[in-house]
Amino acid sequence: MFEEVLFKNRRPDRPATLDEYRQSGGYEALIEAVKQRTPDEVRQLVTDSGLRGRGGAGFPTGRKWGFIPADAGFPRYVVPNTDEMEPGTFKDRVLVNIDPHLVIEGIILSGYAVRAQTGFFFIRPSYELDAQLIEREVEVARQAGFLGNNILGSEFSFELVVHRSAGRYICGEATAQVNAIQGNRAHPMKDRHMASDGLWHRPTIVNNAETLACVPHILRQGAEWFKGLARTKTGAGTKLYCVSGKVNQPGCYELPIGTPLREIIEGSAGGMMPGSELKAVMPGGASTAYMPAKYYDVEMDFDPLKAVGHRLGTAAIMVFDQNTCLVAATLNLMEYFARESCGYCTPCREGLPYIRDLLWRIEAGEGREEFIPMLQQMARHMDSSYCAFAPGAAESVLGLLKYFLDEIREHISQKKCPFAEAYRPHRKLWYPAE
Amino acid sequence: MPKLIIDQRSIEVPAGTKVIAAAEKLGIMIPRFCYHPGLGSFGACRMCAVKFLEGPVKGIEMSCMEDARDGMVVSTTDPEAMEFRQYVIEWLMMHHPLDCPVCDEGGHCLLQDETVSGGHGRRRYLGHKRTYHDQYLGVFVQHEMNRCIHCWRCRNFYQGFAGYRDYGAMQIGNRMYFGRYEDGPLESPFAGNIIDLCPTGVLTDKPCRFVGRRWDFERAPSLCLHCSLGCNTTGSARYRQMWRQEGRFNEMVNGYFICDRGRYGFAYESHPERPRRARVAGLEVAWAEAIQTAAEKLSQIAATAGPAAVACLGSARSSLETQATLQRFCRALGWSEPRYFSVPSQERQVKAAIARLEAPLAVSLREIETADFVLVVGADPVNEAPMLALALRQAWLKGGAVAVLDPRPVFLPFEFEHLPLAPGDLEAALEALTAGAGGTDLLAGGSPWPLLPKIAALGRRLTQTQRPVIVCGTGIVRESTPGLAADLVLRLREAGLNAGLFYLLPGANAFGAGLLSPAGEGLTPLMEDLETGAVKALMVVENDPFWDYPDRGRLVRALDKLELLVALDYLPSPTVQRADIVFPTLTLFERNHSSFVNQEGRLQLAPPVHLGGMPMAQISPEKHPPRTFLSHIPGGEPRTPGEILAELAAAMPAPVTLPGDDLWDWLSRKNPVFANIVSLFESPPGARLIPEAVPAGTFSPAAAPAAAERPPDYLELLLVDLIFGTEELASYSKHIQPAEEPPRLRMHPADAAKLRLSSGDRVALRLLGGTLEVDLQVAENMAPGVLVLPRHRQLNWRLAPDYRVMVAYGDIVKVEA
Amino acid sequence: MQAEIAVAEHPREQAINIMYAVQGHYGYLPDEGLLEAAELLDLTPLELEELATFYDFIYRRPVGKYVIHVCDGVVCWMFHENSVFEYLCQKLGVCAGEISADGLFTVLPTACIGFCDHAPAMLVNGRLYGPLTPLLIDEILEKLKTEYCDLVVCK
Ligand SMILES: Cc1cc2nc3c(=O)[nH]c(=O)nc-3n(C[C@H](O)[C@H](O)[C@H](O)COP(=O)(O)O)c2cc1C
Ligand code: SF4
Ligand code: FES
Repeated sequence: MFEEVLFKNRRPDRPATLDEYRQSGGYEALIEAVKQRTPDEVRQLVTDSGLRGRGGAGFPTGRKWGFIPADAGFPRYVVPNTDEMEPGTFKDRVLVNIDPHLVIEGIILSGYAVRAQTGFFFIRPSYELDAQLIEREVEVARQAGFLGNNILGSEFSFELVVHRSAGRYICGEATAQVNAIQGNRAHPMKDRHMASDGLWHRPTIVNNAETLACVPHILRQGAEWFKGLARTKTGAGTKLYCVSGKVNQPGCYELPIGTPLREIIEGSAGGMMPGSELKAVMPGGASTAYMPAKYYDVEMDFDPLKAVGHRLGTAAIMVFDQNTCLVAATLNLMEYFARESCGYCTPCREGLPYIRDLLWRIEAGEGREEFIPMLQQMARHMDSSYCAFAPGAAESVLGLLKYFLDEIREHISQKKCPFAEAYRPHRKLWYPAE
Repeated sequence: MPKLIIDQRSIEVPAGTKVIAAAEKLGIMIPRFCYHPGLGSFGACRMCAVKFLEGPVKGIEMSCMEDARDGMVVSTTDPEAMEFRQYVIEWLMMHHPLDCPVCDEGGHCLLQDETVSGGHGRRRYLGHKRTYHDQYLGVFVQHEMNRCIHCWRCRNFYQGFAGYRDYGAMQIGNRMYFGRYEDGPLESPFAGNIIDLCPTGVLTDKPCRFVGRRWDFERAPSLCLHCSLGCNTTGSARYRQMWRQEGRFNEMVNGYFICDRGRYGFAYESHPERPRRARVAGLEVAWAEAIQTAAEKLSQIAATAGPAAVACLGSARSSLETQATLQRFCRALGWSEPRYFSVPSQERQVKAAIARLEAPLAVSLREIETADFVLVVGADPVNEAPMLALALRQAWLKGGAVAVLDPRPVFLPFEFEHLPLAPGDLEAALEALTAGAGGTDLLAGGSPWPLLPKIAALGRRLTQTQRPVIVCGTGIVRESTPGLAADLVLRLREAGLNAGLFYLLPGANAFGAGLLSPAGEGLTPLMEDLETGAVKALMVVENDPFWDYPDRGRLVRALDKLELLVALDYLPSPTVQRADIVFPTLTLFERNHSSFVNQEGRLQLAPPVHLGGMPMAQISPEKHPPRTFLSHIPGGEPRTPGEILAELAAAMPAPVTLPGDDLWDWLSRKNPVFANIVSLFESPPGARLIPEAVPAGTFSPAAAPAAAERPPDYLELLLVDLIFGTEELASYSKHIQPAEEPPRLRMHPADAAKLRLSSGDRVALRLLGGTLEVDLQVAENMAPGVLVLPRHRQLNWRLAPDYRVMVAYGDIVKVEA
Repeated sequence: MQAEIAVAEHPREQAINIMYAVQGHYGYLPDEGLLEAAELLDLTPLELEELATFYDFIYRRPVGKYVIHVCDGVVCWMFHENSVFEYLCQKLGVCAGEISADGLFTVLPTACIGFCDHAPAMLVNGRLYGPLTPLLIDEILEKLKTEYCDLVVCK
């Protein structure tokens, strides 16, 4: 049986304390690092481990850290990203609630690796209790000498500040997050390189909380060990899979990265709910396309999914069954994306509501055949928007068109949603006035 | 220099040029909404998408976001890019109302153009249109939020470029709202630019609302005369009246933008009381009769009392043509040289500045934007030369620093260092900085001057820069200050810095006036000549001593002694009102070409916008079209001063001809500087009239005499400019008048405390010529020991013997309600 | 609060915290509070309004003591298709954004709250509830109405 790494201090009722964390080897990596390793060595180790970002884009973490120019000045910042507003994703909440100090240690180590002075723990408002938890544990870590000036007697000083968001999906995007922290409108800034020109124009590294939680383990047990955890050749480490939707045991499960979808759903998640058959999943949150049942055996890792034209995203697996209308589901997603769009660029601000309108008409039985090419073209053109928000938002539409075109056509030809009311006791359309 | 191919044509552009700009050089106008060459790239509207076929970037990308790079092959007509752009237009048009017929932007609307050219002719979106409430944004800018396409230009200019903080973007997604926190006038005096920038009809020109379509207007390039910077504008006239001015690009002067004074100051042109007919003794007479009468009377006085008994006063707001013709006229008739300033200290300051502005030192407004340090001495940019403030901000945005030495509570829309020094201390500071730049250790002597350490620190920073610019005003400073500023620049250049010099002058063509004024001390001040009776006839050409002469009582007494006052002007000024003979002249916008020399010596030409004449609205407001048919333009009598002077010369008992076509030759024979005049086709940004080769740096002879110290218990009264309310021409503009702030006297808290006064008090200021009442505002960020009083239209401030007076504590008293 | 801003290296970074604090005091962010907050932060009212109206959890209109944020993420939707929302509105006699007659509740739809493993879910007062059934909703409302509970709101 696979042994959990990030979740090894999992307790049924409460987060692990500092002592419990330390008993499991916690903060050893930090102690060793500040005493015996140079920041570059830490970064090299992370690079060698093959760790890829868990925030959605899967960018190699060590490489990202290396983007800070050698001659970049100080201060420098790290931003642990716990915005987690990707629908279907809740791994960072679970992680923080299981082992807050693991995340904190990971953050401190990333700060050490890039020689940063301050971390801004960016957290969404619906996680207020978790924000308070982290604030408390940060204080505990400070008392224990892991944060503050001259950590463990070394030259390295680091502060961790909890920065509360007031809730917008776009705040999760790294460059928008930098704006948000500075107290600006959270618009993305694609023309600036965070590694040299981030927060207050200083070098800044944004990483997902889960990504950072891997770092202490990599330092303690080595790059090779980390790579060995994966079930795929190109993968590394374990992955927190959030399974939700029509399964028996929805939840967040730590498994070797590359565990096949079938195993995740049938194993950890307890299989499909009674009466439900797998129709499609979104493999990595709402900004990934529907993946139909034929990919049931795909290995859930960056590369294998890419090979079949899909994305791992945040590895938030949302399971849809045969009774769920995917046109309506996509409409729901478009409502969400259109509402959360920051409004900076045209395709996202106006195109998503347009797509929403077409889907709504289709779902309401007013669909027309000519909507289909329009949907197709608009969804494709979302790729040319300013940041990755709109392309992500368009994925569900593209997936719908690619795999479930018949379902759309049925809506159009029957002039109503073909999903029988009987299956859907709650079904009632709610559409906000413009 | 990267070389790339756009639509099969290759072009080489300077590194850092965006692809959209490179295409423009080939004459390919890539559609855009958010990109503006004056503001830069934002990548927000996605309208400028093109396809990159080869090279470092591939696929559909925004041409405004990509730097041109070697090997790029770009197609602007690629079907995929075209389809995307069509969608962008369709998206933008989802909510845009189809109100072009009643929209003021219709006809020059970028959105309209690109909708038509992009082929979006049929509405496919079936949903509702979004609607908003509009806001009241003040007297200049009209808000129609429903038309907004969220291109961000207005906010990018307002907050980003100009640095003002009361207009922006609220809400999120497609509910975004561009406006203010609440209804109210826009605080930025540069707000009018968002009208030009808005690519559709959200922000339109309020005074020009519903007046006409772009093609209904007579339009021509023009110039702003409301300060000495000489910003370039485009004027629009209709029905014999100016309606609108927009910023016009000049790469050396104002860039793309202008200030609101420049934009809306033009309405003096259609002032209802503007002189339109020749007048003798207050009665309108036939033109020829007025010429005859004037010629007779002038020549008679010259004959009986000698030619020196006739004096001519030109002005700093007249064109160079007018100024020069006046000089030629006086010489031709054997009269004494014309003066151009009624206030002698102003003349001396202007001449001092011009004499020191050597070609290698002079920098243009645009060059200020690339300075790494700007030291502003005795100037209040926003109020005296507004666009300078924006140029300084651009320097600051690029990492440069700005320090201001000025007694006033100076505001600039960015962070700067302000040392509030009294005018006398400004000179000491400049001398100290010059000494410091020459290597003297300022702190060695242990001077008792408490500000010296700060100045020394400033000096150290100054010498560590590479491209510093010294900006020196001529409003409140001592006469010798401009020279000291030049000394500092020379010293900095000796120290190896590429230092520049930038003066501000009082008047759009003060430079021209200064060039033409007699060298040295010149003539006896006009007022003395009038008082002694040496001058018996005065001809005033486009000047109004009632506007800027500090001592109204003395002026009136002096003018009372005259036998004859002849006025040539387009303003219904007090001078015109009391003149015995009046000749109406043309404004800059009408019929003739006129040239102006800005404060850096740049000669710029303004062609006419329209032919002139009485505005239709003033002739027959209720019966348009007119019912009577005339063969001449009603109200079209005004002529240029040059024409009037030529007529007068010809009507003299001993007639003289003043040829109209060889003025530049005549001028350049007199002063080689005028030989530099080139046609504007050769040099669109204008040509500099500064002697090119000047012997290496001449310092002011000796250290200027120490400024007279302020006696204890006295405050120095500074008469200052405000952006609205103090500038002569704009004060006659009905558009500007409602934007004026009520005038206030400002004072340092320390002085206020001594006088037991506080903000809001009504104070009586007893001056030599009488008492003036004004509201007080106590301001922290100004020098102690001075009183700052705007020369406001609504104030009778002309009660002092000179611009520089000391006011005793006892003469500042609170007026009880 | 002033102290916090004073020590902050970049006062603007505190903008959201300050808005939360003002909101904690008034229950929402009224104009008056926004002006105070802007002054504290050395921002203009417009600059703060640009932020306040950007975010979901800053309420520029009055709200009830408890703001019920009903998750409309796709996972929750799969289970209720907006009926949780409608149920709540009906039960409390309000439309989205309104305050219930007793002044206690406001119902708002909100982005996925990260409680998908307990879908359908809602967020009240900083606490996550799910999986919701009409019965559970009744219980929760009853409890919120009758029992004292300390408000968990963003500080
Ligand atoms: C619209 C959008 C939303 C995002 N939201 C999140 C988020 O909530 N949490 C997160 O960690 N990353 C999010 N990301 C990804 C971040 O931009 C960034 O890639 C990530 O935080 C980097 O961390 P990593 O390298 O550890 O993955 C989002 C990206 C986009 C485009
Ligand atoms: S108001 Fe005009 S300039 Fe501003 S965003 Fe809208 S369309 Fe653009
Ligand atoms: S002009 Fe390039 S994105 Fe707007």
